[in-house]
Amino acid sequence: MDLVLQLLFTGIGIGAVYALVALGFVLIFRATNVVNFAQGEFSMVAAYLMVVFAVDLGWPYWLSFLIALGGMALLGVIFNLGVYYPLRHRSFLPVIIATIGASILLANSVLAIYGPQPQVLQGWFETPGIQLGPVYLDSQYLLIIAVTIALVIFNYWFFEHTLLGKKLQATSQDKEMASLLGISVSTMIMITFIYSAVLGGLAGILVAPVLFVSIQMGSTIALKAFAATIIGGFGDVAGAIIGGLALGVIETFGAAYISVPYKDGFAFLVLIAFLVFRPQGIFGERVAEKA
Amino acid sequence: MALLEIRDLVVRYGEIEALRGISLTVEQGKVVTLLGANGAGKSTTLRAISGLEKPAAGDILFDGKSIAGQGPEAIVRLGISHVPEGRRVFPGLSVKENIMLGASNRRVPAKEISREADAMFDLFPEIRSFSNALGWTLSGGQLQMVAVARGLMAKPRLLLLDEPSLGLAPVIVQAVFRIISQIRQSTTVLLVEQNARMGLSVADYGYVLETGRIVLGGKPDELWGNEAIRAAYLGGHAKVATA
Repeated sequence: MDLVLQLLFTGIGIGAVYALVALGFVLIFRATNVVNFAQGEFSMVAAYLMVVFAVDLGWPYWLSFLIALGGMALLGVIFNLGVYYPLRHRSFLPVIIATIGASILLANSVLAIYGPQPQVLQGWFETPGIQLGPVYLDSQYLLIIAVTIALVIFNYWFFEHTLLGKKLQATSQDKEMASLLGISVSTMIMITFIYSAVLGGLAGILVAPVLFVSIQMGSTIALKAFAATIIGGFGDVAGAIIGGLALGVIETFGAAYISVPYKDGFAFLVLIAFLVFRPQGIFGERVAEKA
Repeated sequence: MALLEIRDLVVRYGEIEALRGISLTVEQGKVVTLLGANGAGKSTTLRAISGLEKPAAGDILFDGKSIAGQGPEAIVRLGISHVPEGRRVFPGLSVKENIMLGASNRRVPAKEISREADAMFDLFPEIRSFSNALGWTLSGGQLQMVAVARGLMAKPRLLLLDEPSLGLAPVIVQAVFRIISQIRQSTTVLLVEQNARMGLSVADYGYVLETGRIVLGGKPDELWGNEAIRAAYLGGHAKVATA
């Protein structure tokens, strides 16, 4: 029982990271109808930005954190203008290929600067964790869970209770109609890219002390997050979050009780099972919204 | 000076010429109806005015200034609100949210917009009780009312209405046209209709469009009086309808 609780805590912690990246996938998909295959690289770049500022330059952790997030917002702007905007009137295929290209470019740029060896980033807290009864709560996992909860609440408030959130939803549902009402469609899409880049970056910074900071971390996280969005129901915000958490828990339990080397395999086994038996995901795709 | 003046407007979709040089004027405070069969170019005319289609030639003057070639976001800010074919109510947003977004062309605080949206239900009492219902749950008539209410939230000087009666039951069509006759007291309207009888019933002036050309313009009774026009464009059953 103690072990179960311990694994549940760790699973939710890692699942929260997948959930944040999955949320970025879903928001961009809803706004542009395109899957952004560079979403995982956003996490990787942000983690390396932390290495630059907090480790190499030795700046305070919080300052490095803010600068890294600012850098991610800027990357969101550049990504929108350089990758999406020139192709926005084309079909989804050129845009998807462009995001794959951007993903390769980002990974190899970082590789050229930092080389292939993984970097180490310390966690936010000095204390490694606290013992709560039978369960040891790692401080970094606690932080990840807390930030994810806060962001889910913020996300809900932003999209359901602000006029800007409604304009973003309107844009994702019918761009032409949104433009007829005077909503600046290009601004709404810009905001979506900035927000998704920051979300992805936040996930990367939070998970970096748990994993190593490496070129591959982006694609690993993105694959899991992509699986999470499919499990949750593609295009569904709540589905992405629950899918991410579920995936984190499943792979943690799978690693503990069945096989550690096959840890990543469990996530994809679940993904395959969903694609075969319930391709619309847990929540299903709300078809009416696309009508 | 006319509020809207279109001069020799040409719009092409690739090789196809949808509008072949049309000219028309809409005077301030009037309702002008554009009649014609499917594919005559009625919707294209409205789409060109609101900036969704770029004119290949000709000019569109609003208040004496050319607006041809500007984008839809800029044109709605000038005071032209387009309620397009098919209503296009956002399916995942509530009725009230849809209506509130109609004010996106103006810089007004959200609280004020919310008050204005509530006031809009006085004009459309039929949808008041659906304020929190999502767009996709509504019937055709309700959607049309939401679409018109949303269009009016822009506080337009010119309202473009595309086929408001399409696919609605006769009793709902009556309700929609009752609303148009209320709107005309404050706003100039350019109305596109296939239902000639309803379209002309609220109009001060009418144009008949045929395969991208305006073939006739006149006051509603003049259009009704023209036997050939009545038979060709206004439907063979016109006599029965007016009897």
